[in-house]
Amino acid sequence: MNALLRSVPITWKNLSRRTLRTVLTVAGIAVATFLFSFVESMRDGVRRATEAGAAETRLVVYRKNRFCPFTSKLPQSYERTIRDVPGVKSAVPVKIVVNNCRASLDVVTFRGVPDEGFMEDHLQGASLRSGSLADWKSRSDAVIVGSALADRRRLRAGDRFDAAGVRTLVAGIFDSDDAQDQNVAYAHLGFLQETAERGGTGGIVTQFNVEVTDPSKLEDVAAAIDERLAHDQFPTTTRPESAFVARAARDVIALVSFAGIVGWASLAAVFALIANAIALAVRDRVRDHAILQTLGWTGMDIAWMVVLEAGMLGAAGGAIGAVAAYAAIGFAKLNFTMEGVSIGVTSSASVTAIGILLATALGAVAGLAPAWTASRREIVQGFRTA
Amino acid sequence: MSAIECRNLRKDYVRGEEVIQTLQDVDIDIEAGSFVALMGPSGSGKTTLLNLLAGIDRPTGGTIEIGGQDIGDLNRNGLAAWRSTHVGYIFQLYNLVPVLTAYENVELPLLLHRITAAERHERVADALSLVGLADRHEHYPRQLSGGQEQRVAIARAIVTRPTLILADEPTGDLDRASAANVMDLLVRLNREFGQTIVMVTHDPSTAARAGRTVHLDKGKIVDEPEHAHGHAHDHGEHRK
Ligand SMILES: Nc1ncnc2c1ncn2[C@@H]1O[C@H](COP(=O)(O)OP(=O)(O)OP(=O)(O)O)[C@@H](O)[C@H]1O
Ligand SMILES: [Mg+2]
Repeated sequence: MNALLRSVPITWKNLSRRTLRTVLTVAGIAVATFLFSFVESMRDGVRRATEAGAAETRLVVYRKNRFCPFTSKLPQSYERTIRDVPGVKSAVPVKIVVNNCRASLDVVTFRGVPDEGFMEDHLQGASLRSGSLADWKSRSDAVIVGSALADRRRLRAGDRFDAAGVRTLVAGIFDSDDAQDQNVAYAHLGFLQETAERGGTGGIVTQFNVEVTDPSKLEDVAAAIDERLAHDQFPTTTRPESAFVARAARDVIALVSFAGIVGWASLAAVFALIANAIALAVRDRVRDHAILQTLGWTGMDIAWMVVLEAGMLGAAGGAIGAVAAYAAIGFAKLNFTMEGVSIGVTSSASVTAIGILLATALGAVAGLAPAWTASRREIVQGFRTA
Repeated sequence: MSAIECRNLRKDYVRGEEVIQTLQDVDIDIEAGSFVALMGPSGSGKTTLLNLLAGIDRPTGGTIEIGGQDIGDLNRNGLAAWRSTHVGYIFQLYNLVPVLTAYENVELPLLLHRITAAERHERVADALSLVGLADRHEHYPRQLSGGQEQRVAIARAIVTRPTLILADEPTGDLDRASAANVMDLLVRLNREFGQTIVMVTHDPSTAARAGRTVHLDKGKIVDEPEHAHGHAHDHGEHRK
């Protein structure tokens, strides 16, 4: 039988027939890998939301030196000024009303958008799960709600939805991969301006969402917009959307990057768990290894068996933990929302694969030292020790 | 032709300052197909000699030739391969792998041989039938009696059809009936299959069933009777 394959059945039996030991070890590895994958998914979400991609085309125009939707106030009339800046493809005035400005897991963000055009464009990359755009258009207090928010608040098309003092009717629910769409309810701009300002200052918006024609000119266009409005009554600060999110979410980002330590510590735990389990197993099996070698198995066979067992433990625990994290994240639809922007924690196949691979590799590495010891032990010494 | 030729065999163990001369200038010839009992007081070096013959330990000096092969010439892996085809070892305490069934224990040495799965299965089944355990394939060692465990160990030792069987007090831990059963088996292997057997024992009546007895004392071979060589079945001294 092939030198590598012949060890597999014995290793498998050693694992599957010492159920308690195997289950405990695998459970420990699974928990640690779960933590690692979870933390990595959060970091992944932060990266995706805040790292500028080469193809980024979106800018956010905000009131200069204001950092919360409650205080960023810009005249809607800037829309035309911004649209006139060379390189701007479109500019959409957005009114944001949040029920909580701080970072929170239950934030509702109302975005007031123009009646025509914006939602049609926006829903192209997303899919309407229920309701219809026509319903939204036909009522001034209608909103279209992101799926994470809808699931959390158990909303259906046709339900009333009140938050942050805004009373609305759900006209539709949509699924989107964009983290910014998760905790959001898109309302009519005019409606939101009226309700939110209690009839006072119509024509005021929170920000403008700008699309540029050429991603390489993103920063230039941002500078040009701010330049043009610098001497107006309400000067602006324009940033790429990723930078905008990064600024708004700095607390959460700091927390998440700190949590990265937890991720790496989890990997250290995987290593320690396997190293310990294998060291004990090898000590328990000094006699078994001496028997096998008496029968003609080589030191290399023994070493391979030990590494294989360690790798299998890592692979099993890693697979359970990483897949559980994938499922849990997919199920929980976690979003950190603050100041009206969101960072999504989404499960990804690559984070899952990395979790499984790392646990397997760490397992195999943890098995190396015990494998070496076991393979070098003299047979007679093995029988005397046992 | 001699199956085994040992010349000036020495084995020292070093423990701190102290050198323990476990075997000193042992010369021994064992003929192919013979059944030899190795006797001697505790600590006289019987297990040590057996381990050297099995190639699981290396002598400090001297040579061991088995079937024309000087096993001192073999490296670690060469020796392992040699063991897997030439030697079957039976221990006093059976030494079965606890996590494997009787069948799987007997299969272990065959996993190193280039034979088909079907042939492997047939050989394991044959070996277990030969030792009278055809109905115990799926039993784990802990589910067997001592005598049954030892018979599984014998099946494991003979399943590769080795030329040399080494047994270290194979009946030392068994009750009288099980011991007799195991001895019957060894005598039969020697007679019917012509396998060379070297067996350590403390019990003179067990030794009497072998064709020849070699005495060790303090690491040396002592008063080996002249002309006592030969095959077990050449002599009428064993009972059946
Ligand atoms: N690995 C070792 N390290 C140190 N001393 C050893 C080692 N192996 C054997 N000895 C010593 O060598 C001597 C012979 O041991 P051996 O096991 O060969 O005796 P034995 O004849 O088989 O005895 P018993 O009948 O009790 O099994 C003993 O004094 C023993 O302590
Ligand atoms: Mg002994």
